Amino acid sequence: MTLDAIRDKLRTRERLSFDDGLALFAHPDVVAVGQLANEVREGLHGDRTYFNRNMRIEVTNVCVASCLFCSFAKLEEGAPGAHTMKLEEAWGELEARLDDPPAEIHIVNGLHPGLPFSYYEELLSGFKRIKPDIHMKCFTAVEIHFFATHYGMTYVEVLERLRRAGLDSLPGGGAEIFHPDVRSRISHDKATADEYLEVHRVAHGIGMKTNSTMLYGHIETFEHRVDHLMRLRGLQDETGGLQAFIPLAFHPDGNGMRNLPAPTAVDALRTVAVSRLLLDNVPHVKAYWVSMTPEVAQIALRFGADDLDGTIVHETIYRAAGSRSPSGLTVDNLVRLIQEAGRIPVERDTFYSVVREYPRATLPEAALKVRDRNANKHLEVLS
Amino acid sequence: MTARDSGDRLRVAAVAYLNARPLYEGLDREPASARVRLDCASPSEVARSVAEDEVDVALMPVAAAASVGDLRLVRGCAIGSRGAVRSVVLVGDRPVDSLEELAVDLSSRTSVVLARLVLRARNAGREPRLLGSTPREAIAGVRGVRGALVIGDPALEIEGRFPFTLDLGLAWWEMTGLPFVFAAWCGRQGALSVDDERLLQDARLEGLARRDAIADAHAERTGQPAASLRSYLHDAVRYDLGDEERRGLERFYDDAAKGGLLPRADVRFFDDDRHKVFPVESLDTLLARAAEGDRLSAAEGERLVADASLFDLGLAADAVRQRKHPHQVVTYIVDRNVNYTNVCTTSCRFCAFYRPLGHPEAWVLSRDQLAQKLKEVVDADGVQILLQGGLHPELRIEWYEDLFRWIKSEFRLGLHALSPEEILHIGRLEGLSVRAVLERLHAAGLDSVPGGGAEILVDRVRRKIAKAKCTSDEWLGVMRVAHHMGLRSSATMMYGTVDTARDRIGHLVKIRDLQDETRGFTAFFCWDFQHERGTRIESGDSGTVLYLRQQAVARILLDNVDHVGASWVTQGPEVGQVALRFGADDFGSVMFEENVVSSAGTTFCMNAESMERRIRAAGFKAARRNVRYDWLTQPV
Repeated sequence: MTLDAIRDKLRTRERLSFDDGLALFAHPDVVAVGQLANEVREGLHGDRTYFNRNMRIEVTNVCVASCLFCSFAKLEEGAPGAHTMKLEEAWGELEARLDDPPAEIHIVNGLHPGLPFSYYEELLSGFKRIKPDIHMKCFTAVEIHFFATHYGMTYVEVLERLRRAGLDSLPGGGAEIFHPDVRSRISHDKATADEYLEVHRVAHGIGMKTNSTMLYGHIETFEHRVDHLMRLRGLQDETGGLQAFIPLAFHPDGNGMRNLPAPTAVDALRTVAVSRLLLDNVPHVKAYWVSMTPEVAQIALRFGADDLDGTIVHETIYRAAGSRSPSGLTVDNLVRLIQEAGRIPVERDTFYSVVREYPRATLPEAALKVRDRNANKHLEVLS
Repeated sequence: MTARDSGDRLRVAAVAYLNARPLYEGLDREPASARVRLDCASPSEVARSVAEDEVDVALMPVAAAASVGDLRLVRGCAIGSRGAVRSVVLVGDRPVDSLEELAVDLSSRTSVVLARLVLRARNAGREPRLLGSTPREAIAGVRGVRGALVIGDPALEIEGRFPFTLDLGLAWWEMTGLPFVFAAWCGRQGALSVDDERLLQDARLEGLARRDAIADAHAERTGQPAASLRSYLHDAVRYDLGDEERRGLERFYDDAAKGGLLPRADVRFFDDDRHKVFPVESLDTLLARAAEGDRLSAAEGERLVADASLFDLGLAADAVRQRKHPHQVVTYIVDRNVNYTNVCTTSCRFCAFYRPLGHPEAWVLSRDQLAQKLKEVVDADGVQILLQGGLHPELRIEWYEDLFRWIKSEFRLGLHALSPEEILHIGRLEGLSVRAVLERLHAAGLDSVPGGGAEILVDRVRRKIAKAKCTSDEWLGVMRVAHHMGLRSSATMMYGTVDTARDRIGHLVKIRDLQDETRGFTAFFCWDFQHERGTRIESGDSGTVLYLRQQAVARILLDNVDHVGASWVTQGPEVGQVALRFGADDFGSVMFEENVVSSAGTTFCMNAESMERRIRAAGFKAARRNVRYDWLTQPV
C-alpha cells in the first residue's frame, strides 16, 4: 500500500480521515510514515525543538481507582508503600532547588479519598509563596472530576478555586484510551471519556490551557487509537485549548496487565508520527522521554515530535512500571539530545514562549568535543 | 587552500615501480626537491594516503582513484599504453579465453578490473573464477584450466615462457581503439596550484629524458636485460594524459561501473576546475543509485552523510536490505560471549575492562567456570560461543589449542573466537606467522573469527585511541589470511571517538575492498564508543540518530557484504529494533553476558522471546541462525 493518497492530502491541507489514520497505523514501513510526519513537523516548527525546566511531584499515591495499567497507586492509606506528602514535604522539593529552580511544577496524584479540598489549595498557594512566578501545571482531568464529585462542586467551581490558589494549567494525564470497550476494562472507576473531555472543555472555556495524552500499547486496537485521536481533534476544533499531545507507552511491570509486553520502539515512533499527522490542529506533539527512553525520544524528534518535555527531576509513576529511563535529566542532557538529533534546542515556558534558544550543533557529523558526550546513555539523576 | 607539510612543501606520494620512475624521480632532485616532500610506497598505501588526506597528490592506480571518488587528475601525466604494455598480461597453458581459473594478486585492482572487462567482452560475459595469490604462486600454479594475471617486473621476467599470453594493454586497444591509463597523479579538488601542476609536468619531461638511465639502473638491480627495459619504458609504457587518454579512462570507468566492478567515476583535471563548473548530481539521483545497489565511491558516501536526511538514508538502506533479503526475515543467534581473561597488555584508552597481569582483579577463567558457562549455552539451545579476551602475556598457543580441543570435544558449539588483535598477539608471543597461528587454531577447532578490534581502520585514529593495538593493515591482513583459509568473519566499526565522517567512510571502503578480494565477511556491525568512567578518552560524535545514519550508510556502501546487524547490545533493544528499519537484517545475539561493554556501563538484556517479538513488531519474520547466517528455524 502506498502513502501517496495521504501525502497528497497533506500537501493540499485536506484533513485526514479515520481510515487514513488506520492506514497509517497499519502501514508496513514505519520510516515512510515517519517521513510524512516529519514534513508536517518541520512545516510547523522547522528544526526548533522544545523543552522546559520542570519538576514532577506526586504528592500522594493513595487512590480509589483501580486502573489495570497502574503500578503506582496504592489503594488505601496505610497500605504498604502508600504515602501522602505533608504540605511542607511537597514544598520542600522546590525549596531544595531554589538555586536552579524549575519554571514549572507538574503535579499528578492518586485519587485520595481522605484529604480535604483545602489541602490542594494550600499546596498550590504554598508553591506560589515560595516562588511567585512558578507555573503550576497540576491535576489531571481525572483528578478534577474526582474533586468535583468528591467535594460536591461543578468543574468550573473546582477549577476556579484551584486557579485562585495558584493553578495555571492542566496536564494531559488520565486520558488512557477513550473508547468504552477499552476504558471499561482498564479503568472503569474513574472519569469517563466524556467527563475527561468535558473537564478540558470547561478549562479551555475559562481560558486555561491543557495538554492531552493517550496510553497505548496494551489491549487497544488501532481503531481505538484513531478513535481516541479523533475525539481530541474534535475537542480542539471546538476550543483550541490543547497545547500539546503526548503519546504514553504502556509499561507492564507490577500492574494488572503485567502479562502483556510493552509496546516496542517502532510502535512508539509510529504512534508519535500518526498522532502528528491526525492532530492537525494541536500545535505540539511530545516525545516524552520518560515513556520512550531518551534514546528513542531522540529518534522521535525526527518522526513528528517537536518537544522532549522537561527535566522532570523525580518521575515515579513510570519507574514503578519498570521503565529503565532515568528519573530526571539535566538541561545539558536535554540540549545535547536535541542537538544530536540535528535540531535546534529551545527552552520554553509552559505556554511555549521562548526562554532561550540554543545553537544548532553541526551534528550529525562534526565532532562536538565536550565531556561526557554520551549523556543520553549515562544520565545523571538529579538528587 | 592547499594543505602542506610543516615546511610548506607539497606532499607527494608515488609508487616505487620501474614504470613510475620517469614521472617522479625529478621531484627528488633540485630544484623541485625543495618544494616537494616525496614518499614512495605500495599502490594500496599510496591510495590510502590520498583517502586519508596525508598527501596532496599521489601517483595512484585509477581503480583506487574511483574508489575514493571525486578526485582531480594532472593533465598530461600518466602511466598508460596504446597497444601492448608488456607488464600486464594473462598467461596460460591454453588459450586464455578457455581458462576457468585465474590466479591474481587481488590487491592490483586496476589490472584485475581490466582483465575481467576484457575477458567478459571476449567471452559473452563469462569469466574465470578468480583466486587470490602472490605473484610467485600465481606463476607457479599455471597449468591446465588455471591461468594467471601477472603484472610488473614478474611479467617482464616471464616474457615468452608461456604458450598463451594476452597483453591486456593490447587487448584494450583492440577492443576499444583507445589508450589505457593505469595510474595518474590524483588529488582532491583544489589541492594543487597551477605552479604545483607545472612542477609535476616538468618532472615528467625531465624523467622522460632520463628513461635510458632509469632502465639501465633497474637492469643492474634486477639482472633483466637493459635493452628490453629501455624498450619497455620508451615503446610500451606511455606517459601522456590528453583527450584521447581521457576518453580511454572514461570508457574504462564506464564499463567497470556498468559491470559492478567500480563506483561510477568521472575523469576531471585540476585545470578543469579553473574554467569549468561541473554539474553536481542531485541528491535524489545519488540516493536512487544507492537504493538500486550501485557501488558508491567514498566521496559519494561522504556526500550522503553530509546532505541526506535520516529518512533518505533509512529508506535507501531499507531498499538495499529488501533487495538483498527479499524474504522479510530478520535473523538472530543464540550464543554467548565468553571472555576468557581480563588480563591485557594494550591498555586502550576506551576500555574499562582490562587489568594488568598481577592486578588483584585480574582473572583467567578456569575450565570449571568455562564448563559451567558452556553448559548453560547448550541448555539454552545455543549454537556457539564467542570467545575473546585480553592480550594475556603468559598464555601460550598450546593453551588455546588445548582449550579449543576440549571445548569441541565436550560441547556441540561453534567456536567464534579470537579477534585479529589476539591472533597477532599469539603470533608475536610464539614467533609464528598469522597463517601459522590460524592454521594451528583452526586445526584445534576454531570455526570463525569475530571482527572485533577494528575500531576505525584509519591509523591516525587508531594511534590516538589504542596506540598499542595493531595497524589497520595488520587487522585487515589477519582477516585476509583467515578468509583465504576458508574461515569466515564479521566486520565491525566502533566510531565516536576522534574519528570524522571521512574516517568512517574510509573504514567502510577498506572493508569493502578486502571483501572484493576474499568474500569472507559475513556481516557488518557498528556501534558508538560507550563512554564510561575508567576510560581515558572523551566521546566524539554520538547519539542514536547518528547511529541509525551510520548503519544506513554502511548498508548502502557495503554492497558486497551480505548482512548488516543491529547492535542492540550497545544501543539498547529499543534503538536496536528501530535499526531494523534502517538497513539491518540481523538482530545479533541473545546474549548471556558481555563483559567488555557492560563494564563501560551499558547493560541490556533480551531473551529470544523478546527478541522475536521486537522483530515481528518491526514488520519482519524472525529466524534463528548460525555463524554463517543459515536459518536454523523456520521464519515466523
